[in-house]
Amino acid sequence: MANASAKPPAWLGLFDAARGLLVWAGGLAVLFGAWQAVLSFGLMPPELLPPIGDVLATAADLASRPDFQRHVGVTVAEVMVAFVIAVPLGIVLGIAIAESRYWSEVLKPIVFLVFSIPKTIFLPMFILAFGINFAQKVGFGVFSTIFIVLISAFSALDSVKSDHVRVARAYGATPAQIAWRVYLPSMAPVLLEAVRLAMIFNLTGILLAEMYASRAGLGQLIANWGENFMLRELLAGILLIAAAAIVFNETVRWFEAKCEHWRT
Amino acid sequence: MAIASPQKSMSANGGPSAKSPLRVVASAPGAVQVDNLDHTYNVGGRVTKALEQIKLDIAPGRFVVIVGPSGCGKSSLLMMMTGLVTPTAGSVYCGGLPMTAPDPDRVGVVFQEASLYPWLTAQDNVEFPLSLRGVPKAERAARARDKLALVGLKGFEDRYPHELSGGMKQRVSIARGLVQNPPILMLDEPFAALDEQTRISMGDELLRIWEQTGKTVVFVTHSLTEAAYLADEIIVMSARPGRIIDRIDVDLPRPRTYAMMSTPRFAELRERIWNQIKTQAGS
Repeated sequence: MANASAKPPAWLGLFDAARGLLVWAGGLAVLFGAWQAVLSFGLMPPELLPPIGDVLATAADLASRPDFQRHVGVTVAEVMVAFVIAVPLGIVLGIAIAESRYWSEVLKPIVFLVFSIPKTIFLPMFILAFGINFAQKVGFGVFSTIFIVLISAFSALDSVKSDHVRVARAYGATPAQIAWRVYLPSMAPVLLEAVRLAMIFNLTGILLAEMYASRAGLGQLIANWGENFMLRELLAGILLIAAAAIVFNETVRWFEAKCEHWRT
Repeated sequence: MAIASPQKSMSANGGPSAKSPLRVVASAPGAVQVDNLDHTYNVGGRVTKALEQIKLDIAPGRFVVIVGPSGCGKSSLLMMMTGLVTPTAGSVYCGGLPMTAPDPDRVGVVFQEASLYPWLTAQDNVEFPLSLRGVPKAERAARARDKLALVGLKGFEDRYPHELSGGMKQRVSIARGLVQNPPILMLDEPFAALDEQTRISMGDELLRIWEQTGKTVVFVTHSLTEAAYLADEIIVMSARPGRIIDRIDVDLPRPRTYAMMSTPRFAELRERIWNQIKTQAGS
């Protein structure tokens, strides 16, 4: 029999993390290097692509300005509220639909059909229904997000193995125990993926709604800076939003990787 | 370990002479009875007779193997004996009480695929049945460790199923079946997915565990060799509708050894099963 103590040592995990960071730093260095190269070869005028140093300085400056922080606050609030509504609602609804044969047959095709429609074309209707305000942004965020969550919930339920449920029943599990001890961990990897995708859809929907018509928020700032040819601010804003989105995405992906072997 | 004393004495002697008497005491914890069991499936209005007039009387501490062609309903029969599936007619008694629902205190179940939870370590998988009933953490940890040691997995407590081989997974599954210390262990083709070497050594392992614990074992398989090698008694089933067409008392001495497989008696036993199954298997 194999050696029982052949677990990978802890420092190997640190090594992996260090290597990950190194790859990241390398990627950033290449991006910024290319950026500067484009400028120094004169491929783009500095009015259109300001030097990276200026942009980073602007980003730092923006982040410290209360006025900018207020806009960030508005967007974060909209994103969080929409996320907190769309994800649990989508998961609960999706499981309820998939658990019932009747509602599966009726609603699943509709969900898939609506999912294929680009949600952006409904934005004007949200403005007409809600006006230009917080509720409209949140509503559009939820609408942009919920279909991917529903579809993920369908496949999360499919990933529950009947064998695993049968084992629990054979050992006398109650329905509640089966739900918490078998269904939930079985679905966890797919649901984490749903959370990650939901945030991408949600952020896209809300930033778009802000760019289209808004009095506050990061999307509105980005649109304004673009219209006013404020490239430094525009690029600084893009970098900040990209960083925030990537950090969220990678954090969830880290949890996903932790339970990757649950899918077997 | 709390095992009824007559079984303990049997395991001490080991030999065939120590077998429980054929007269079954139905209320003994390890006794299994199946009484006129019938089962029919009704799929979309089409009624299929799956099992017909199944009668079984298994004495405590016996190792009984149910063998039959694929699709004969032997696995379904076992699922009914565990209380997981309700038969159309007839009843199953374990330890003298009807099995109307699964009862881990009476019957431990080992499934075809090991069916371990991939999010739990070997230790936590074995603790699972205990944790469902709120056994205190320290006690269930000790009991699970004990059973993992019994199946030869000491030192593998912290491994996840994906870090274990097929045979090791089935060992964990057997430990899980034993952790509540039920008098009866039911196994549904537990080694079917393993390669031949592993299957033979797992058979030996199971016999060792059986002799050590004195449980009643009901073992379903489609392998003639496995049936003849493991069993005190072989129940041969026909193709659908599954009926019992033969009961064979295996008089090979214990402990069974690999060398016995090449004896004339072993060949006779295999042939007796095969002659009855082959006429069924083609149909």
